[in-house]
Amino acid sequence: MEYYAATVYPVVLAASAVLALAGVASLVVVRAHRVLTWVVTGIYVVVGAHLVAVVAGLLSGPDVDLVITAGYLLASLGLLPLLGIARLGAPEAKRADVDPDRPVLQPDQIARVDGAVAVAVAIALAVVSWRLTEVFGAAS
Amino acid sequence: MNPVARVILIALYAILGLAATGRATVQILEKFSDAPVAYSLSAVAALLYAAIAVALWRGWRKVAIVGTGIELIGVLSVGALGYLESSWWPDETVWTGYGSAYGWVPVLLPVTALFFLLRYRKAGVH
Repeated sequence: MEYYAATVYPVVLAASAVLALAGVASLVVVRAHRVLTWVVTGIYVVVGAHLVAVVAGLLSGPDVDLVITAGYLLASLGLLPLLGIARLGAPEAKRADVDPDRPVLQPDQIARVDGAVAVAVAIALAVVSWRLTEVFGAAS
Repeated sequence: MNPVARVILIALYAILGLAATGRATVQILEKFSDAPVAYSLSAVAALLYAAIAVALWRGWRKVAIVGTGIELIGVLSVGALGYLESSWWPDETVWTGYGSAYGWVPVLLPVTALFFLLRYRKAGVH
């Protein structure tokens, strides 16, 4: 699994950095939210490729802890729905819900929420990838 | 409660819940007998984070206040006991070192959540 540390890990780190920067930009400038939505699409692609790379690596037969590896992979997938979570507070989402306590966000608030959450998810994705590097490093 | 703070807190609790669930699952599946109290606490923390995220989303303010209160007491107690009685903890929990393994988010998050939840209650905004 040397290729993980050499190739996959740097790619995920770079993607996480771009996501964090786009998140900060969206926090500061509301118009940057559009860029963040493009970056989020890219993150979906990167996490999908990361999943394929790790599974392919596992099938090649290294002696790694499968429970931990599967846990980190699931965590990386579980983070994705949180990107763009502010859509749940969009006024049109409120109209489709009878819940009186549902939060409703204005467009600038949507940009800021998505930006803040993008920064948190970027950190979490980077940590997941770093931990997987350690798991694979211990196995080799 | 401020809707921006509310949705951000929901996302942060979901992320922490994911992390704690993963940690607790691995600890319980692979080495529960090594430190049953510590690993059970990790599982409790994971359940608590999930419950708080749901409570914040559904607007169950009292549940969220009680949950974050328990979380704060838990992280402060476990953090302090980790230094005072380190022999009680053969391995780390989510709350060890006041959540230092998670960037101290486990101690900062309940303080932040309680600030917004209690400020909302004092303001009497419905």
